[in-house]
Amino acid sequence: MDDEPIVRWYWIGDHLGYLGNLLADHAVIALLPVLIGLLLAVPLGLACARFPRLYQPLSAVFNIVYALPSLAVFVVLIPYTGLATQATVMIPLTFYALAVLLPTTVDGLHAVPDSVRQAATAMGYGPWHRLTTVELPAAVPYLIAGLRVAAVSSISLASVGALVGRGGLGYLFVDGFQRTFPTPIVAGIVLIAVLALAVDLLLVGARRLLAPWAVREKGAGS
Amino acid sequence: MITFEGAGKRHPDGTIAVEGLDLEVPTGRITVLVGPSGCGKTTLLRMVNRMVEPTSGRVLLDGTDVAQLEPAKLRRGIGYVIQQAGLFPHRKVIDNIATVPYLLGWDRKEARARAAELLELVGLAPETAKRYPFQLSGGQQQRVGVARALAADPPVLLMDEPFSAVDPVVRAGLQEELLRLQSELHKTVLFVTHDIEEAVRLGDQVVVLREHGRIAQLADPHTLLTTPADDGVAAFLGRDRGLRGLGLRPASAVALRPVGDGLRYGGWELALDDAGRPIGWIDRTAVSAELHPAAGFRPETDTLRTALDAVVLSPAGVAVALDGDGRATGTASRDAILAALTPTGATAVGGIDANADESSDTNVGTGPDANAGAKADAKTTVSTRKALAADGTGEAGTTDRVGGPEGSDGGR
Repeated sequence: MDDEPIVRWYWIGDHLGYLGNLLADHAVIALLPVLIGLLLAVPLGLACARFPRLYQPLSAVFNIVYALPSLAVFVVLIPYTGLATQATVMIPLTFYALAVLLPTTVDGLHAVPDSVRQAATAMGYGPWHRLTTVELPAAVPYLIAGLRVAAVSSISLASVGALVGRGGLGYLFVDGFQRTFPTPIVAGIVLIAVLALAVDLLLVGARRLLAPWAVREKGAGS
Repeated sequence: MITFEGAGKRHPDGTIAVEGLDLEVPTGRITVLVGPSGCGKTTLLRMVNRMVEPTSGRVLLDGTDVAQLEPAKLRRGIGYVIQQAGLFPHRKVIDNIATVPYLLGWDRKEARARAAELLELVGLAPETAKRYPFQLSGGQQQRVGVARALAADPPVLLMDEPFSAVDPVVRAGLQEELLRLQSELHKTVLFVTHDIEEAVRLGDQVVVLREHGRIAQLADPHTLLTTPADDGVAAFLGRDRGLRGLGLRPASAVALRPVGDGLRYGGWELALDDAGRPIGWIDRTAVSAELHPAAGFRPETDTLRTALDAVVLSPAGVAVALDGDGRATGTASRDAILAALTPTGATAVGGIDANADESSDTNVGTGPDANAGAKADAKTTVSTRKALAADGTGEAGTTDRVGGPEGSDGGR
């Protein structure tokens, strides 16, 4: 690696299409689990808010899953999902996203002031109706704060999947190390950072759009 | 009409919130439940819309046991206002107000039109409609809370310390607004407060509660203030109840000395501007022509308490009666005002006036109610005014007054 420069621009120029494909692959592998996690976290969170006894065991399960090293989980899954399939990487990432999103959903639902909850009940909302039309919309800032953490960590974790054959931009790291050729590594890092930043900005924008009333509220992300 | 028939609430842990209450809340009137914290007043209120289920007895709404009605349906027909307003943070003001119409399945346009109507009714500007609750002051939020409770025009309104969280000036405004609304709408209102001042001001009927929801006294405000049932109630009402009673009697009872009969009282003379509005009192014995502020009252709208206040504030011991435009229509000396306080005639209670040229010192009748406490209270005017100023400025102040010999203030 003595005379090797950090970046060989011609390599990037030659591989634009390849890099684009990896970026798209990475985005799907990283973000689809977050989306599925959200779709699971909302009903689970509502159930936990309605039946508080559910919350402790559920959050314990997801915390344990979150503690498992991702590479180990990928390896365990290979016999079932096969090598180099998206599912091998996406299933653990979904659980990780859920582990982040479930507590934020439940916190968000609980963050509604008691007076609001009582007023809603007194006006004739049933428990489920109130949860979905009053508490859930009011929890949106919390949900989006959770999504920002989940999305960024998922984008970072997805690259590990390259070690089991499916990692989007993570493949550039494996490739670069094997050939002692730093250019793809640098390209991968930059692209991952750009992807994370873009998704984060998108979520901040979504928050402005979906919860304009929360602009001045504290403690629910920014 | 709301009827409590032996309605009681015992918590699962055995503690008793309400022992068993019998009470009728008449249709179209304001009934105030007042008592120290922990007396069960909120529990009683919530029995009406089934947010609390009684463990004994029952609550009837126009003769129907509310336990037989489906909670959600029952609640949509009962307005509910609470201390913190409880507005939905994610909905604009207009949609907050339209909540119950939406729940009742009204057309969106219709519901919003109704909400806009109510916004105006509670005295908020139309542009408020598009704001979010966090953009409003506490007083404005509370107005929206009242509008929301009235949106579907429910015959019954439950109000749980709705004005306790706002400052005294805003609270007075909200109370006035409620009385104005009630004079138009004639709802059956059950109002809970720990502030006796508020109870007396708003209630057609005041229910003073002791711990476990026992009724200490049920009376109209005037009777309550003049003849408390026992020492406990008297202590709860506070020392200045005689004075407060004056706040329930119109100032029109004061016999005025017309402006044309002269504006001199002893060494003092009232100066008027060209339009007839008072500028101030001039001390004719003094060398300088310094003006001393002239306190006034409006006989048509103010109470005897305001008139008495004006006389106390005046350096000449004379209150100036004003019309709607602030012009002086007459004057009332200390004697004239004190005469209006007692129906038995003009006894010199204050006794230190030097009103040589007072001529209209006749009593024109102050209504049927003799106020036994008025004489004594009038003498302590200065000290009680201070006590009044401290009223309701915070939880601490009010609880102090509540803690009577009964030791009824167990909560805080």
